[in-house]
Amino acid sequence: MRVPLSWLRDYVAVGMPLDELASRLDVSTAVVAAVEHRGVPDLDGNLALFRIGKVLEAGKHPDADRLQLCVVDVGEAEPYQIVCGAWNFGVGATVAVALPGAELPGGLVLERRTLRGKESAGMILSERELQLGEDHLGIIVLDDGEAGTPLADVLPIHDVVLDLEITGNRPDLLSVYGVAREVAALFRLDLEPPPGMDPAREGDETVKVTVEDWEGCPRYVGRLFRDVRIGPSPAWLRARLNAAGMRPISNVVDVTNYVMLGLGNPLHAFDYETLADGEIVVRRARADERTLRTLDGVERALDPSDLMIADAKRAVAFAGIMGGEETEISDTTTHVLLEAANFEPTGLWRTSERLRLPTEGSNRWVKGVDPYLAEHAAALATELIVKLTGGHWVGHTDARAQLPERPVVRFRPERASAFIGLEVDSEEQHDILARLGNERRDGEYLVPSWRARDLWREVDLIEEIARFRLADVPFTLPVRREMMGRLSRFQRLRRQVEDALVALGCSEVYTPSLVESDSADDALRLQEPISVELAVMRTALLPSLVDAARQNADAGNERIALFEIARVYLPRRDELPEERVRVAGILEGGFLHTKGVVEALLRVLHVDANWMRSEHPLLHPGKAARIEAGVVGELHPTQLDGVWGAFELDLDTLFARVPERIVYEDVLTYPAVLQDIAVAVREEVEVGALVDTAREAAGPLLREAKVFDVYRGEQVGEGRKSVALHLSFQSSERTLTDEEAAEARGRIVEALVDRFDAALRA
Amino acid sequence: MDPQALENDALAAVATAASTDEIERVRVEYLGRKSELKLALREVRDRETGTALNALRERLEGAIDGREAELARAELDRQLTEDVVDVTLPGEEFQLGTLHPTTLTRRIIEDAFLGLGYEVIDDREVETVHYNFDQLAFAPTHPSRSHRDTFFVDDERLLRTETSPSQIHVMEAKQPPIYMVSLGRVYRRDEITATRFPIFHQFEGLAVDRSLTLADLKGTLLHVMRALFGEQRQVRFRTHFFPFTEPSMEPDVSCPICDMRGCRTCKFTGWIELGGSGMVDPEVLTNVGIEPEEWTGFAFGCGIERSAQLRHGISEIRPFWENDLRTLRQF
Repeated sequence: MRVPLSWLRDYVAVGMPLDELASRLDVSTAVVAAVEHRGVPDLDGNLALFRIGKVLEAGKHPDADRLQLCVVDVGEAEPYQIVCGAWNFGVGATVAVALPGAELPGGLVLERRTLRGKESAGMILSERELQLGEDHLGIIVLDDGEAGTPLADVLPIHDVVLDLEITGNRPDLLSVYGVAREVAALFRLDLEPPPGMDPAREGDETVKVTVEDWEGCPRYVGRLFRDVRIGPSPAWLRARLNAAGMRPISNVVDVTNYVMLGLGNPLHAFDYETLADGEIVVRRARADERTLRTLDGVERALDPSDLMIADAKRAVAFAGIMGGEETEISDTTTHVLLEAANFEPTGLWRTSERLRLPTEGSNRWVKGVDPYLAEHAAALATELIVKLTGGHWVGHTDARAQLPERPVVRFRPERASAFIGLEVDSEEQHDILARLGNERRDGEYLVPSWRARDLWREVDLIEEIARFRLADVPFTLPVRREMMGRLSRFQRLRRQVEDALVALGCSEVYTPSLVESDSADDALRLQEPISVELAVMRTALLPSLVDAARQNADAGNERIALFEIARVYLPRRDELPEERVRVAGILEGGFLHTKGVVEALLRVLHVDANWMRSEHPLLHPGKAARIEAGVVGELHPTQLDGVWGAFELDLDTLFARVPERIVYEDVLTYPAVLQDIAVAVREEVEVGALVDTAREAAGPLLREAKVFDVYRGEQVGEGRKSVALHLSFQSSERTLTDEEAAEARGRIVEALVDRFDAALRA
Repeated sequence: MDPQALENDALAAVATAASTDEIERVRVEYLGRKSELKLALREVRDRETGTALNALRERLEGAIDGREAELARAELDRQLTEDVVDVTLPGEEFQLGTLHPTTLTRRIIEDAFLGLGYEVIDDREVETVHYNFDQLAFAPTHPSRSHRDTFFVDDERLLRTETSPSQIHVMEAKQPPIYMVSLGRVYRRDEITATRFPIFHQFEGLAVDRSLTLADLKGTLLHVMRALFGEQRQVRFRTHFFPFTEPSMEPDVSCPICDMRGCRTCKFTGWIELGGSGMVDPEVLTNVGIEPEEWTGFAFGCGIERSAQLRHGISEIRPFWENDLRTLRQF
């Protein structure tokens, strides 16, 4: 909401320093996004050099066809001769003049100068030169005024605009008057009554308004104006609209916008003669009504849930959102039907959402406009239309349902102090609430109609106290009781995984959980993604990591090793997906390198894994393995240039295998007996099977069995390999005898020979 | 043999020996098998002479051993002064990975809350309208419910727009007192720009207990902000609006980049807006069956990347998601 201070001052005497005003609003009311200085610089008497002038003489410059030579009374003893490039005025016109020495917006300082032989002492000004607006086709022609009057008295040639970010709960602040009310409360200032006074009605014509949907439209004030002259608005009104960020269009439309900005009630004006039977019907769209061309020229589809303004025959406007092209005010309009209504937020929001058409008006309606505001808005608009267009107000209707009662809220000052954690004197609390328009009744408050949607519980009133005293609230900590801060087992182990992988040389990455496509056909797909790359909820991490590795390789980075811990989203029909946390990694190097990293990770966690040959679309078909928690393998060579390893493991599955605690074993008192064996087996026998068999055959005395060499060569023979194992026999209860160790070793050899046709080599 | 003369000669020889080789020769000469002393000992017949000669032998052994140790040490010292390495050469390189700045910041936040006695919650990201909006008292017209602002999977399911649904899950699961912080990914339907990415991480604290106050919220936030950005930080609050808190406030933290002297990051205001906070709205408590007259609560949330940006001086969001090792290896 852009609030020009020159406008705000109509309603509240803002005298405090600008910084103070802005910071108080910022803390207690709304973010002040910007404080904008507009127009003529206000320094060193500069403003006094801008005056109202009366044109005494005007005629063509003798030596320039496009220039006018004027003599202007600016309130000095002698009139000034000024050369001017505009022709939209003549003798007798009241104009805006800048005298020599004046500094214009943008820094240009006017000097006396000679134009085609004639001296020009100053400048006759257009809106654009004063930064009042964009119109620079002609100079400003004022209605009236005495020559020499400071221009600043009639036009905001210097202004400050506060740009406030109004939150959704405070639609009452979406108006200059609403902000004035807030400022008056914050600074304990007097507030002028709301602007607008109905002029005398000059007729008693019937305004036919039928509301068929009271829920959507609890109130509709319709007013009829005859013999309106459409034309540009006066300079002061144009300046206010421009400063507030709206473009002036024509007097009647400008009045509706001015009232919306000034009071917060959006209005609409119809060309009365375009309404069939001059009638207004507020109803939902009919099934047979297909489209409406809105005044922005777009043909828009209607839905039966849309609240429409219709005439006797057809829908003519989306209620509260945008009017139709056929019934809008045009240059030739002579009779005007003014709408000052109240619309219910939810339905209007749905229509505005569906049309993707947020407007200044709909933005206010969806947040909730005070239904009691309509009469003030109608009065201000009527006063201005009559004054600015010469029109006659001849008809009035106020169709209204039972308007909502103002809420009555219990309020306990001591509860407020306790809740805030700051002792605020109860009289001060009552004073704050009263200044905000709440009426005290015993232990209760009657809330003002413009805050009825926001203040309906005690806590809402407590907020009013809190925000007024926010900076004074101390910093304390809760008294501790029943607070047990600790990481869960999962969170603790997750940190261990992160730290282990970092120690193993892998760098952590974060990749988007949304991907372009996923291997699972039923993966969750967004209804309206922002791009094709971020459209599907992934069911695996590895593809994202392959992308991350590729980008690093393309960037020329070396020794790439990446990991990520993130969720995957496994679809379950119409239910929420199953979300699993996985760890995935990708690193340069072959299968055994990656397996080494995964084994180290497993050692950190004290997890034993069962390695099995497997398949995976992203992995080399001969170099892919599976353990309980997931896959490990060499990346399929079509994925990336070079040799890469990759893994993806499910953390819950992995952590389920982590022992709850580590149980101590005495391995020092009774030393181990170490023995090596080497057996020759067929090539296809997996060493894992040899180790498993050795363990099984030897029983608990075999503490460790570790492959330390695999050899192929002539001595072993074609199609065979020699596998050498370190064996370590140990008991925690006694020293093993050589015989016991030899016997266990014998059982191992026997089993290997038996099962794999192994030949003992050593 | 004159023992006294022998001892004098031997000790003189020990004193003049200049190397371990020389002292070894002295040992052989005076204590070797064919030395005068050994021969004399072999021929001793009486106890008194024997005792005297053995004492002499021990004295000579002691003197020789001592001198030998001295010389050996001197020789080692000489040798070591020549065995020199250029200590400025790089060491053997071990490849180390790095934690992502988002994780580093996440841990600082978790630890700050753990210290205050909070539990850490890691919750689901695909949510229902019920948990993401309805239970959190979002008005039916709240802009976040729009398909323009939020990613929907269908009319009921969506990607959570904040970590707040965790509040509901936790409060449904247990009665107060509740002290928890939820951290994780959230999703907003924002176009990708230098400073915005539609996926980011948030942390959100929730406390529900008897007689918690707005002052407690301020103090807790101050603690967390100082854990994140340094002990000198100040925190101030501005009135704001969120559907699930009342009153609602936006906290500002004094700029950690310039320490309030004014810089581009804080737009020369000295303050940085950081997240949202407030007292839990009674409607939210009622929705989960907690009696608001008996219990009060506060909640606050903030972006993790945004916190990390301020901690490390990262002006854009891009480095968090492009995963370039040249960036990551700085952390």
